[in-house]
Amino acid sequence: MAGWSGAAESDLKAAGAEKLPDGRTGVRLKGWHIESFNGPILNSSAVQQWEETLKTTHLPEMVFGESSLILVHRPTGTKLHFNALDALKGWKEEALPPVEVPAAAQWKFRCKPSEQVVLDYDYTFTTPYCGSEAREHNTPKAKLEDSCLGLCWEDTDEQINLAALSSQTEPILFYDEVVLYEDELADNGVSLLTVKVRVMPSCWFLLLRFWLRVDGVLMRLRDTRIYCAFDETKDEPLIIREINWRESPINVLSAKGYLADPAAYGDPNLIKERLPIVMHKNQKLKISR
Amino acid sequence: MSDLDRQIEQLKRCEPLKESEVKALCMKAMEILVEESNVQRVDAPVTICGDIHGQFYDMKELFKVGGDCPKTNYLFLGDFVDRGFYSVETFLLLLALKVRYPDRITLIRGNHESRQITQVYGFYDECLRKYGSVNVWRYCTDIFDYLSLSALIENKIFSVHGGLSPAITTLDQIRTIDRKQEVPHDGGMCDLLWSDPEDAVEGWGLSPRGAGFLFGGNVVSSFNHTNNIDYICRAHQLVMEGYKWMFNNQIVTVWSAPNYCYRCGNVAAILELDENLNKQFRVFEAAPHETRGVPAKKPAPDYFL
Repeated sequence: MAGWSGAAESDLKAAGAEKLPDGRTGVRLKGWHIESFNGPILNSSAVQQWEETLKTTHLPEMVFGESSLILVHRPTGTKLHFNALDALKGWKEEALPPVEVPAAAQWKFRCKPSEQVVLDYDYTFTTPYCGSEAREHNTPKAKLEDSCLGLCWEDTDEQINLAALSSQTEPILFYDEVVLYEDELADNGVSLLTVKVRVMPSCWFLLLRFWLRVDGVLMRLRDTRIYCAFDETKDEPLIIREINWRESPINVLSAKGYLADPAAYGDPNLIKERLPIVMHKNQKLKISR
Repeated sequence: MSDLDRQIEQLKRCEPLKESEVKALCMKAMEILVEESNVQRVDAPVTICGDIHGQFYDMKELFKVGGDCPKTNYLFLGDFVDRGFYSVETFLLLLALKVRYPDRITLIRGNHESRQITQVYGFYDECLRKYGSVNVWRYCTDIFDYLSLSALIENKIFSVHGGLSPAITTLDQIRTIDRKQEVPHDGGMCDLLWSDPEDAVEGWGLSPRGAGFLFGGNVVSSFNHTNNIDYICRAHQLVMEGYKWMFNNQIVTVWSAPNYCYRCGNVAAILELDENLNKQFRVFEAAPHETRGVPAKKPAPDYFL
């Protein structure tokens, strides 16, 4: 895979876009400031702090605590951001019961040590997280989660224009993929939360994806797609998001022959369509002044 | 120069051996490994290394920091393969060094040295891709069954890939295991390669997965006391700082894959013990980008949907 050194100057110029200065990764265009941060995993002392903040004794093995993606619409101060801390708050809150691995059946017959505790947190780090919102200048630092203080996601029939997004005629002005956290489930599969973004002259589009495979047990895919077509005739940007949760036991997929290609284990794109949808929502962001 | 020395030079350049050479190398390694104990005796001075995971160019950094084998006596705690891009070259180089200098390098088994795990996490696919057949994977996984399960340095430091087992209280119990098999799904041999120390438990903990033991500080104390051990040295878990002591210096984790999976940004460490068992951790970073032969950091743009 060849590295990408960035969009062509001429494409940026034609779209009225500029790269962020000082080696930062991102772009400014049409009132938007879009920037990604890629940092290392948390060190031991930061892990301790996060454990205290989240009131947990367990975090994913790899938490990219300084990594994030931020999109700010400067005229309205609307800020969308994606980070591991908020995602893990969602994990704590949802607190799914643990999934047993296949070997667990055998382990039930093992002699037990006299003194044994069974840990029961959700080691898959499944999260309902679909991004964080904030208002930049009106209410600085205020985190607006489910409250409707100026920013609120409401259900809509409007859909992401996938046809426009499928066309590859527009150049990509900015692209990045940010890993927020990852766990190898102690070699029992993978749990991975990533967000990727692409910015074109007419719109931006992002995919926040939680991908879980517990080997021999289940696959779970929670996708949040967010789309914004630039329209400078309107004061407020139209931001649409589509949330799609899919899930299936692995034995069901195997029985149907969907896992015959071993690559399907590692690449959610190859198995996505085979996983039944368990939850779907279409929403748009209501921005009030 | 003997064939073996030539092969070592070739592997040091990250060039894999021919299939027939791998087969012959594995036959020779088997003769050596079969003689080793499940608790292999190791003399000091020795340098202890944790997980490598196919990060060949980072292992070359390790040898730069720790010195070349045979000048330095090495103990590797397993997980040579999977995850990284060069599991074949990494494992074959270590194995060739083992055959060439059997008393100067000790390799013990990690949980990734298994048929089942390597089919999921990369080594199987890499063999298939590099050789067009799975024969090399078969030769290597057959050798995995012969790798020792633990090491004992000067009777004072117990070294193992994962950790302890409720089925094992004495080193003699480890010595009686018939190790020449695929890593089982449960039992003492499985625990040695899979279990983890855990601050949040006293005694034993069972993972929420329903399989896999966690052990607390009191378990380590009583094991060390029973076996007259100073401390346990293990690998198996990623540590951002390269090494991590737990339970009042009764157990240490050593991790030797810097910038794990080419994106974690962690440093790696090796533990050097001199002839008096004085400890020195040597921390090192990943090989520079240009030399490590991995994709450039920036991902290619993709019209994802």
